[in-house]
Amino acid sequence: MDSQIRSIHQQLVDKKITCTELVQSKLSNLKENSHNTVNALLDDIALKLAAKVDAKIASGETIGLLEGIPFGIKDVYMLQGTCTTASSDLLKHYKSPYTATAIQKLLDAGAIPLVKENCDSFGHGSSSENTIFGPVKNAINPELVGGGSSGGSAVNVAKDYTVFSIGGDTGGSIRQPAGYNHVYGLKPTYGRISRYGLMAYASSTDCVGPIAKSIEDILIVLNTMSGLDPKDQTTFTSETIQEDAILDTKSIKTVGYFKNFIDSEALDPKIKADFLACIEKIKAKGISVKVLDFFESDTLVSTYYTLAMAETASNLSRLDGTNYGNRIEAENLKETYAVTRSENFSEETKRRIVGGNQVLSQGFSDEIYLKGLNLRDQISQNFEKDFSEVDIILSPVTPSTPPKIGDSLKAPLAMYLSDAYTVGFSLGQLPTLTVPQGTATGLQITAAKNNDELVLKFANFLKDTI
Amino acid sequence: MSKIMTVDILSSIKGAQPSETVNKLFQVIKAANPTDNNSFNSSHNCVSLNNLREDIVIDSSEIEKQIIIENFPKEKNGYLVVSKVIEE
Repeated sequence: MDSQIRSIHQQLVDKKITCTELVQSKLSNLKENSHNTVNALLDDIALKLAAKVDAKIASGETIGLLEGIPFGIKDVYMLQGTCTTASSDLLKHYKSPYTATAIQKLLDAGAIPLVKENCDSFGHGSSSENTIFGPVKNAINPELVGGGSSGGSAVNVAKDYTVFSIGGDTGGSIRQPAGYNHVYGLKPTYGRISRYGLMAYASSTDCVGPIAKSIEDILIVLNTMSGLDPKDQTTFTSETIQEDAILDTKSIKTVGYFKNFIDSEALDPKIKADFLACIEKIKAKGISVKVLDFFESDTLVSTYYTLAMAETASNLSRLDGTNYGNRIEAENLKETYAVTRSENFSEETKRRIVGGNQVLSQGFSDEIYLKGLNLRDQISQNFEKDFSEVDIILSPVTPSTPPKIGDSLKAPLAMYLSDAYTVGFSLGQLPTLTVPQGTATGLQITAAKNNDELVLKFANFLKDTI
Repeated sequence: MSKIMTVDILSSIKGAQPSETVNKLFQVIKAANPTDNNSFNSSHNCVSLNNLREDIVIDSSEIEKQIIIENFPKEKNGYLVVSKVIEE
């Protein structure tokens, strides 16, 4: 599908629709939807902004490409004056005092926020069932999960409730729900987009990224949000990716894939067959395909979760009900902390906090945490070696199709292992895009650090190839 | 300071116990072979000392201050109430 942003922009400019009508229709669809994608509708803000866009068009002023385009926001981003709950009881009534940099850049470009979207609480999950707002239902089959943690965002895009949505990806939370709902989802290179105003899960892999229905829309939103931000010192200056640049796909000569991902017994046979069929089509286009060695899935998943739990235990230690959040008073300060956290965190969040504190505690940290960091370095070095030999790494997004609602919560280890194909690229901080093609849950395209352009280029190539 | 702290105390979560599921992940790490190089985390998130932001105080906007006060869980007679701190 071609750019919805450009198509809507043209309709607004040609006065075929008004922005108010557009926003009202999307708000109404969101309100009526039964997929549990909405934590809060932003009716007042959206309609006020839409009226401004209409007035601008009526007075003959030029509007920008994103001006009047309605979008969704995963409910972990600050937007001043709106509730940001992280789908948790603790922050159920928490109001954002300021706006996240990435969201502010979209607002500055004139995009209109419609909705705070359902997700796993604090990003802790792969199914969007770990939420106080009810499980997100898959866009294609509502008996299945919407994926996670950015499940509400992916479903909203798939159902056309939003033109694009902003998800957050720590270990696959944009790419996996994008795959489960057949849309595009990009985790950019770590640091390309500021994390300021994103509630931290695991700071060393947290990434802001767009979910949309076309490569062009992913590009437009990526370019708008990217850039150095003094409020997030891990950000860097990046060049705007030109649309023409991603159309020329001739520079891609070699593609690699990980043998052990495809040989894994956990991989659904149909996904495996479809993936290998894609590889054949790529070869038929004259691209050389190289089979690569990589770490075993259990090592990748264990390394990722060990480090992510350590970071989340640290990041969430500030949530004690003192300055904000649903404080539950007890006999003294320490008891107040403990009761507040025990009553307000979900089981999954508590499991990760406790795991993280185990990892960081004396006696464990050398044996597990430092070893986890060492493994992460080895994984990064492996990627560096791979990208000296291939331009792109192609992989399935998930080993299997989306589970039924209810199954993941019963089997947390199975849920962690289902992230096997996404977490490695997070640890490597690499740009990775899910495309809704090739297998039942799509394909993942990865390039070397800072080579987000090449990822989009290859996505364009695949669009015409498979 | 040799007091042993259990995970429920470390986590401020009542009755918290290490989980079997998470322990299985840790077993994999324990069994893995690390490399000899000790440059832990060498390639991640380094910030150049030449590229630090200015160390200056930036005053929050009025609306930001107002929302921060609104978010405070308990208020009494114009004061923000916190739990009594007990010295141990």
